[in-house]
Amino acid sequence: MSNTISYPDVTQYAVPFFIAAILAEFLWIAIKGRGGRYETRDSLTSLIMGAGSVAVGLVLGFIAWGFFMLLWRLTPLDMGTSIWAIVACFVLDDLRYYWVHRFGHRVRWVWASHVNHHSSQHYNLTTALRQTWTDTFTFMMVVRAPLVLIGFHPALVLFVGGINLVYQFWIHTEAIGKMPRWFEAVMNTPSHHRAHHGRNPRYLDCNYAGVFIIWDKMFGTFVPEQEDDRVDYGLVHNIGSFNPLRVAFHEWVGIFRDVTQPGITLKQRLLYAFAPPGYSHDGSRDTSATIKAKHLARNPQDRGTPGFEQHSDPA
Amino acid sequence: MPLEILLIMVVSGVSLVILILHLSGRSAQTVLSPEDARSAWHRHFPDDDVRQILVAENTHAALVQTDTGTGLLWSFGADTVARHLIDFDVMETPKGLRLDFHDFGTPGVSLTLAPPERARWQQLMTSP
Repeated sequence: MSNTISYPDVTQYAVPFFIAAILAEFLWIAIKGRGGRYETRDSLTSLIMGAGSVAVGLVLGFIAWGFFMLLWRLTPLDMGTSIWAIVACFVLDDLRYYWVHRFGHRVRWVWASHVNHHSSQHYNLTTALRQTWTDTFTFMMVVRAPLVLIGFHPALVLFVGGINLVYQFWIHTEAIGKMPRWFEAVMNTPSHHRAHHGRNPRYLDCNYAGVFIIWDKMFGTFVPEQEDDRVDYGLVHNIGSFNPLRVAFHEWVGIFRDVTQPGITLKQRLLYAFAPPGYSHDGSRDTSATIKAKHLARNPQDRGTPGFEQHSDPA
Repeated sequence: MPLEILLIMVVSGVSLVILILHLSGRSAQTVLSPEDARSAWHRHFPDDDVRQILVAENTHAALVQTDTGTGLLWSFGADTVARHLIDFDVMETPKGLRLDFHDFGTPGVSLTLAPPERARWQQLMTSP
């Protein structure tokens, strides 16, 4: 069983393309007067988050790599490196991405890492690079374990994961409206991902896909972008700092404060760390479910429309 | 890819993008009218009933009286951030007021207020 397979780090090689595409998108917006917004400090924060994410990967990448190589030595299976193996690994890894991303929105411990990606009130190509610094501490690497155990080499698994991330760069734009219908039906697109970044009640917890939107359609989390409900980008409670350290760590600090507060039970402490974002032991905060329910109480005409199919009024 | 090449590309690319954005006027703070402030507050707190809005003379902040108490809305780049004034400290600065929110993600905000505004704002912020 080979241990010497290597693939290029596609996210690093894509850096010149990222810079060129950002400049092109900005020029398009400036010339056309539509298709998105840019703000200097917001973009600087996003770009520093992206650079920091690459740096953290260089420093801490050995942890995930060591874990995957341990599994690789344990497994008797080897899928090889044929083109079909690469395609199969890419598709299965995209399914992995869907679930990790869904956990990233539904488990506060994982949300603490992912929240920074949603912390901009803008949606442009720099937002795509506003990536986490703390992914290692979520332990979501375990979701990749089955891919290695069924015989995909760790280098191949990380390679297709890199392609997945590079694919997602171009969908962070308002400059592209809708793609052809067949493409919108199968692939994740700017329109689908705009909805995912929405803080509107309708768009909370939807469209977790990386490359193929079919996972959301299969698992019941697909919400199409609505012309009559323009996407409002950012967090339900937007943060008031451009400082990358605050952007990277604010939810971890929030978890620490909540978990260590006096006068609550052990179960409540665990729920502050692992329940969906917005959990509170005294009901003083809103989860996405209560936000949707309150919206329906104010706007009953939205009941049954996309994003509100399964929600009821607050008790 | 050699690390030094990656570093040069990232630093030069980020610098170029930021320079272009700044020189093209993308560093301007958003300006608030009373109606903008009302709309922005509802965007942040859709359940609130807004009763009164006081926009600062420099148009970069607004005090908002709601059914649940007093809140502060302020320009955050091209956008806004808003907070109910519940757990905070306020102090005077040479240019106006400084609020600390005891919140790691939103540590505070410095407001530029004309001298006649300061006392009025401070009173409204701290009155029940």
